[in-house]
Amino acid sequence: MVKKESKHNFFSVRDLRVEYASGQEVIHAVNGVSFELESGTTIGLVGETGAGKTSIARAIMRILPDYATKSVSGKVDFKAEELLELPESEMRLLRGKSISMIFQDPMTALNPVKKVVDQIAEGVRLHQNTSKRESIEIAIKMLEMVGISEDRAYEYPHQFSGGMKQRVVIAIALACNPEILIADEPTTALDVTIQAQVLELMKELKEKLGTAMILITHDLGVVAEVCDTVAVVYAGELVEYGTKERVFDKPSHPYTQGLFNALPDLSKNVKRLTPIEGLPPDPSNLPKGCAFASRCPFVTEECKKDKIDMIKISENHQVRCIRCEEE
Amino acid sequence: MPLLEIEHLKKYFSTPRGLVHAVDDVSFSINKGETMGLVGESGCGKSTLGRTIIHLQESTGGIIKFEDKDVTNLGKEGLRKLREDMQIIFQDPYSSLNPRLTIHDTIVEPLMLSKRFDSKGLEAEANRLMDLVGIEQRFRMSYPHELDGGRRQRAGIARAIALNPKFIVCDEPVSALDVSIQAQILNLLMDLQEEYGLTYLFVTHDLSVVRHISTNICVMYLGQMVETCPTKELFDNPLHPYTKALLSAIPTVDIRHKQERIILKGEINSPINPKPGCRFALRCPYAEAQCNEPVVLREISEGHFCSCCRINEI
Repeated sequence: MVKKESKHNFFSVRDLRVEYASGQEVIHAVNGVSFELESGTTIGLVGETGAGKTSIARAIMRILPDYATKSVSGKVDFKAEELLELPESEMRLLRGKSISMIFQDPMTALNPVKKVVDQIAEGVRLHQNTSKRESIEIAIKMLEMVGISEDRAYEYPHQFSGGMKQRVVIAIALACNPEILIADEPTTALDVTIQAQVLELMKELKEKLGTAMILITHDLGVVAEVCDTVAVVYAGELVEYGTKERVFDKPSHPYTQGLFNALPDLSKNVKRLTPIEGLPPDPSNLPKGCAFASRCPFVTEECKKDKIDMIKISENHQVRCIRCEEE
Repeated sequence: MPLLEIEHLKKYFSTPRGLVHAVDDVSFSINKGETMGLVGESGCGKSTLGRTIIHLQESTGGIIKFEDKDVTNLGKEGLRKLREDMQIIFQDPYSSLNPRLTIHDTIVEPLMLSKRFDSKGLEAEANRLMDLVGIEQRFRMSYPHELDGGRRQRAGIARAIALNPKFIVCDEPVSALDVSIQAQILNLLMDLQEEYGLTYLFVTHDLSVVRHISTNICVMYLGQMVETCPTKELFDNPLHPYTKALLSAIPTVDIRHKQERIILKGEINSPINPKPGCRFALRCPYAEAQCNEPVVLREISEGHFCSCCRINEI
């Protein structure tokens, strides 16, 4: 039990809520998300556009846009520190050093007027108190680790292809050996063969450096590839949370089941796909009960009455659906 | 009988650094009512090929035949007629609809230009099309920015099928959509095909989508066709090393049976003034000296063409 305690102290998110203000409306982007991350493991946050995945990541990093953010509440614990309450000056020391982030679009995440080697060295110099020369040396080592040779180091981002830019972004994120890496759709902008390269690289780095990862994606295939645990996000809530084996072998929330059914399966010949009918709810006007109720094939009156709680159906598997029972 | 045939089609773009061989000597035919899936990575020329076939860009060389007639060099009037039969659905429903036209006006525009309808018939036809693609009547007067991606793509589809075309180029129609919506649109496209006997050229980078919807598949690499055959054959028996790598790179949701993955080195190289020989050779794990000789597409088994010269050895 003691061992479990210490593990849980590595990183956890408790009841995280994010609200945005848009005119008179309040957008409920994240509505009470809780999950844990153990050192050296990877959690996948899966969901559709607008489900709140990126808001979760940005809230953890505390880089939500000030002008639009109405409120952020909850707890983000990282090694016994409460990130949401740290003064900005201390948060700045953590950001990029202990926790860093890979952004979705490598085309816009890099500074177009700065050589790639300098962009990597910048973070190193800031966080590790090295001389300019040392930081450049580290930057070149990082580039080599992600498969870019030294003679390309002094080029500008526009001279690189999409896959190479994404590798530069990964090199920046990993330059200070972070303990947690948040990767927001790291391969979505890339072709399949390049995606395979980048995923392979991320797996290698995880093994070599023992970095824990929060991987945000809409692609269940990518989750199957790299994650240990999975959290399915719908309308700003986790609707299913468990180990990859549990969630993939026994998807239990109707939304998760729907996601699996909607995929064209490479190994089966089916004439028609099974889409999830309808659309996700408007985040400024969420339903009182289950957020998925309007699209759910199994909906009952009971579902629409009240918020549904997470139900633990087995040791490593929780589902937010009243139809699910403990095994 | 083939509805569309292209022979040795070429499309080059001239740039300050040289000629970009975007489409280089591609030939295939599509039978009526069938779907040809065109697969490849970004920059391989698949969209250019689709756009060249429907004359959004003029071809540099080669022949395009539609219903057995050579339509490669048509005048203005001829093109106008042809475009009633050939339409396109674009990748990005966010940028392919006019932001200042309502959904109703977007759908009505081709109907009006065709002069097939009087004003009453026009309205009835627009309503029929909206029902057909599943846009609720309450969105008639909405502007594209007020709709979600799925409905926008439905509007794009309604516009494309408005004049009862025979042939539609679907240029990555679902890649900007979420999986749950993607399945809705794929089903719609297949229903329309069944009902109206449409013929599709389906351009995509997503092999699982292409397998679902296509009769035949053509794999492109740097402007050239490297392999083509019926869909089932391609997935059961891929021959070209690039096709094999492409198939193995798809992340599957099956967590128990991990397939052996072929990780390609390097990136797609430049299509500017390419050297003769196999264009994939620089990334190919099996490349040898003979791969620098010019390659030709050979029929390996019935209906299965592949351009690799070493398939018997690998």
